[in-house]
Amino acid sequence: MMQTALHPPPHLRDALLEQVRVVGLGLRRPAQAAAVLAGLATLLVAIIDLGQGDVIDFHPEDWMLPGMVGLLLPIAVWTGEDRFGPGFLWTLPVDRRRHALARVVAGWAWLMGTVALFVLWLLVVSLVSGERILAEEALRVVPNWPFPGALDPATLRVVRRAPEPLFWLVPFTAATGTYLLASAVAVGVRHPLRWIVGTALVVGFLAAVVDIADASRLIRPLLDAVDSFLVGPYGLDTLLTARTETLKVDATLTTGETVIVWRGLPSVGQWAAATLLWTCAGLALVWAAASRHRERRRA
Amino acid sequence: MLVNLDPRDARPLYLQIIDEVRRALVVGTLRPEDPLPSVRELASELVVNPRTVSQAYQELEREGVVYVRRGQGTFVAPGAHRGGDERRALARGVAKRALLDARRNGLGVEELVAMIRETAADEEGEPSTVSAANQGDEE
Amino acid sequence: MSRSTHADPAAGALAVATRGLTKRYGRETALDGVDLRVPKGAVYVLVGANGAGKSTLFKVLMNLERANDGTAEVFGMDTAARGPEVRAQVGYVPEHQHHRYGWMTSGRLLRHVAAYYPAWDAAYADHLGRALGLRLDRRVGAGSKGESRRLQLVMALAHRPPLLLLDEPTDGLDPVVRRRTLALLAEHLADTPTTVLMSTHQIYEMESLADHVGVLNEGRLAAQMPRDELQRTVRRYRVAVPDGWEAPPDLHVAGMRRSRGGRELQCTLVGEERDVTARLALAGAEVSEVTPLGLEDAALAFLPEEVSA
Repeated sequence: MMQTALHPPPHLRDALLEQVRVVGLGLRRPAQAAAVLAGLATLLVAIIDLGQGDVIDFHPEDWMLPGMVGLLLPIAVWTGEDRFGPGFLWTLPVDRRRHALARVVAGWAWLMGTVALFVLWLLVVSLVSGERILAEEALRVVPNWPFPGALDPATLRVVRRAPEPLFWLVPFTAATGTYLLASAVAVGVRHPLRWIVGTALVVGFLAAVVDIADASRLIRPLLDAVDSFLVGPYGLDTLLTARTETLKVDATLTTGETVIVWRGLPSVGQWAAATLLWTCAGLALVWAAASRHRERRRA
Repeated sequence: MLVNLDPRDARPLYLQIIDEVRRALVVGTLRPEDPLPSVRELASELVVNPRTVSQAYQELEREGVVYVRRGQGTFVAPGAHRGGDERRALARGVAKRALLDARRNGLGVEELVAMIRETAADEEGEPSTVSAANQGDEE
Repeated sequence: MSRSTHADPAAGALAVATRGLTKRYGRETALDGVDLRVPKGAVYVLVGANGAGKSTLFKVLMNLERANDGTAEVFGMDTAARGPEVRAQVGYVPEHQHHRYGWMTSGRLLRHVAAYYPAWDAAYADHLGRALGLRLDRRVGAGSKGESRRLQLVMALAHRPPLLLLDEPTDGLDPVVRRRTLALLAEHLADTPTTVLMSTHQIYEMESLADHVGVLNEGRLAAQMPRDELQRTVRRYRVAVPDGWEAPPDLHVAGMRRSRGGRELQCTLVGEERDVTARLALAGAEVSEVTPLGLEDAALAFLPEEVSA
């Protein structure tokens, strides 16, 4: 009689490490392209800003870039994978839901590395330009918003405060948030492109209809909801830039000068709460998406 | 030892292998104490299931034609030689096949035996039967 | 979670066992109540026309598809409930390649797969690669269909799995490589206690390796038996018959050809030769010749006329 010792499946840890390696290998091309762009950017900064003697401030939270990269990365991570058919990934001896999550985590690891490099680059450029990182800044705050026309400099309130080091985490949390949302789509939706394009078309169509019919009054609540979703206190912008993108505006003074003024000041507490909210939502959606591939169901 | 298997032969593969070993013994290509190819080698060479080869070797061992030296493989038994049982077993196989062929062509036993003798006598008359056969059938 | 994998001891001597396995794709029935039985250590060849359900069966065993009805077990483990554990026992060569790692080199892809199988034998993988002429530093996407097939074979064999599921393993390979591949498979069988379940269109190729045969016809298992039994019970009979003779209903006739005069028939009949000859005699037919059939012809006897003609 034949004695066959059964083979054990691999540890999840080994599968995860291998996914990190493979995802990393797959990202080589985009990484090379990014490196070239970074080189060009450095050159431009060196020539234009540093040449003029500008001091570049170190505010990583101002940048939308990490959020964008997080949003787009799942495309590179999942491109070509046969997720809803007999894909190669599913023939391996790992539970499919866990394997999908492992790949998401693998992509996230590379994302964090990339964001760290970005922040480091900002820091170096900033230091080289002569910025004193934790020195106090003078921020001009407007008393009311919106304001008409040119501003009287006398109405501006000047607040002096040092940058908040916690906000240096914003690129990381922003990228994580968008990455989770985009990963949920990449993992859970059979034809993500169709959904994205379809949604964009529907939204565009509705916007045109509302415009033509001048029915903005009817959908005011919806518009308000969208507004809140995007730029509200716990909206997308809070996740992406701690709301600095919304709060910072260019204004023309009565003196003719164009300066940056603040509608309000970013709050760490608000940012932390919003980040928690978005991250939890992202995690839940990723889990649900991965569960579409779980193994113990009957057809 | 060179083994050839006929895919159209009715006999199970393991029997064909056994008969090939017997044939090699009778003809003299295999001698007592000669090693047989390993199960692995023969299976790979013939593209045959190794269990088939094992089965053949085990049957040969049971009949005393070969024996197994631990760690070294299968060898022809010292007692197994050209004469006696091997020849008979081989001859029986040839006879069976000839009778089957005869029956298929509507020939009786006596007819077949007579024709065998006649053909053999004719061939002995030829100086070199091998080259004659190679030049084509002249009959 | 327990690290050791336990099979159900009651599974007995079956490596693969399905019970009433049914799989439908919309209105198409790919598998219809299939009771597959693959004994441990067997080399089981699955035969059938295209679309007969062979690939679907493999996918269900790998839990890449979920059955609509019935169960499938590998070494006593339910393939739907214990998918990862089942897949850890299997070396799978699918009909079509489904990975998109064309940019990886063959060597890198092998190392990738190796990470998932603790039982991977790197030296053996090397040996297999060399025997099959794989170029390890070549990108997978740059290779021909035959090269990717050979790579898949190495991926399946190198971890010496207890079960090999091979869906058309020699498909796309030229004749020389095909023979080398099968010889390699024979060697593998000699070295490793393995059960093989494979489907093929080139049945004659597998004749000497196979010891069990299954015939799948439109999702149903038309026949399943050890190869020796198949060759013993499916034979071609040449019979002399009186005018207007019809075969008796209790005889399993798989194919029949009449001569011009109608007085000689050649038919493929299923049953023990002695039994069949007796029945024919009872029915007034005289057997003049019985020819055993090769594996391919014998298996095809269970497929409908249009296919086996």
